[in-house]
Amino acid sequence: MAEVKGAASEKKTLIEEGTRFKGSLSSTCAVVVRGSIEGDVEAPALTVSPSGAVHGKVKVGDLRSEGEIAGEFDADSVLLSGAVKDNTVIKARSLEVKLQPASGKMQVVFGECAIDAGEPAGKEAAIAAATAGDKKASVPPEP
Amino acid sequence: MPSLQPDEVIKKVQKGESLERADLRGVVLPRAVLDGVNLRRGELDGANLEAASLKRANLKNASLRETFLVGANLEDANLESADLEGCNLENANLRGANLGRANLEGANLMNANLSGARLAYAELQSANCGKTDFSHSILTHADLDECYLGGARLGEADLRNATLRGANLEEADFAKARLDHAEMGDANANLARFVSASMQQVNLSHSTLTGADFTDADARKINFTGARMQGAILTGAKLNGVVATDAEVAGITCEWIDASTEGDGSKPLRNAQIVALLSGKEVEEKAPTRPQGTRYFGKGDVLRNASLEFGGGASVEIESLFEHCSITIGTGTELVIGKHGVLAGCQIQGAGNITIHGHFFEGDSPGIVGPSQLVVSKGASLVGAIEQPESFTRFGFEPGCNLRVKIAKPGAQSSSSKGNGRRKK
Repeated sequence: MAEVKGAASEKKTLIEEGTRFKGSLSSTCAVVVRGSIEGDVEAPALTVSPSGAVHGKVKVGDLRSEGEIAGEFDADSVLLSGAVKDNTVIKARSLEVKLQPASGKMQVVFGECAIDAGEPAGKEAAIAAATAGDKKASVPPEP
Repeated sequence: MPSLQPDEVIKKVQKGESLERADLRGVVLPRAVLDGVNLRRGELDGANLEAASLKRANLKNASLRETFLVGANLEDANLESADLEGCNLENANLRGANLGRANLEGANLMNANLSGARLAYAELQSANCGKTDFSHSILTHADLDECYLGGARLGEADLRNATLRGANLEEADFAKARLDHAEMGDANANLARFVSASMQQVNLSHSTLTGADFTDADARKINFTGARMQGAILTGAKLNGVVATDAEVAGITCEWIDASTEGDGSKPLRNAQIVALLSGKEVEEKAPTRPQGTRYFGKGDVLRNASLEFGGGASVEIESLFEHCSITIGTGTELVIGKHGVLAGCQIQGAGNITIHGHFFEGDSPGIVGPSQLVVSKGASLVGAIEQPESFTRFGFEPGCNLRVKIAKPGAQSSSSKGNGRRKK
């Protein structure tokens, strides 16, 4: 593990490729994972590179993952690609998964997981909004 | 000969003396430490300042023609209106520097770092900016005609009203950049990335855009006249008012585009509609122009307890309220829940492509079974479980979408769901 200076000169904690970290990691600077972490992570930002993997309980401001993640993730904003393994829970204020062309590689492969992002409109409120205009009952179209 | 010798320059800098208007033409000061020096209106033409440290130096209105600044550190330096014509700044650090109205014509900025630099109205004609980092920089009204920007990084840069006529932009990255009103005619932008860029009223006429990526770009009123766009990617681009007369669009990847005036996703177009739009044909708002095979459920309609089945390849758009309905879609069917559409207590099954701009709340769980593609746009809601097909679902979640979802692996039989466990056949 080392502190590196990134392109923008801000300090980052780097778990380099080939490094396997087990345990709790708490950092005041951004964490970049090219190797693997098994355990808890708390940091302002976490970047998981395509070669990286994080399994555990994570609480960060920004999460960008192109690698493999599993466990419980709590973040303000999440940008996902790579793989989301089984039994993963992601809670985020904002979540983004870019849609790749059908001909291209799958952007994200999801295992069994739960995602809780944004603030869904209440079902009743959505129904009320949909029926606020002129109502008319329709019948199902001809098959 | 310069009026000051190198050791005299160093001494003056160490004493904190000003070198304003100093004549340092041809001076040789490699690796010199000149941080914070005041060289305003100084003359440094042809000087050798290789790897020198000039952090926060005041070089406003200075003349640095043909100056050798390879690897120099000019972080936060003031180079406003400086003359840097033909200057060699390869690998230089110009982060946060002020280069407003500077003349960089023919300069070499290869691999230089200009992230966060201010270059409004700067002149960079024919400059070499290969692999230069311009991320987060300000290049408004800058002149980049015939500039080489191959592999340059311009993410989140502000290039509004800039001119890049005939520039080489191959593999340059303009992700989230602001390019509105930029003049980019005859540019070579093969494999350039304009993902999520703002490109309203940009002129890219007669440009080469092979394999260029415009995914999610706001390209309303963009001009692609005569452009060569083979293999370009336009999925999710906002293209209201696009002009693409005589553009070569063979092999473009474009699953859907947004043709709405406001660029709010309210007018998604697919297939033949996109071809019509790029051909300059008006795609009208009303239902009669929808392609054959499209089923449209308008705003204000309410469907309850209905079972609907749509064959493969159909196109279905729902702007209505569906309650407790079961929808089966065939392979390749495009099902769009429009901005006003609400599906409450419903279930969708089948290997189609689902796009949600409105709201979906599941009934029986999993609410969505076997989709080959599922997109949830900004402001849309999806509450329910998704069971993926054997080939896995291709997901697209836009920032600002609202999700309470459980995703199950192929064949998981909704083991992760917390619904009532029943599955409709």
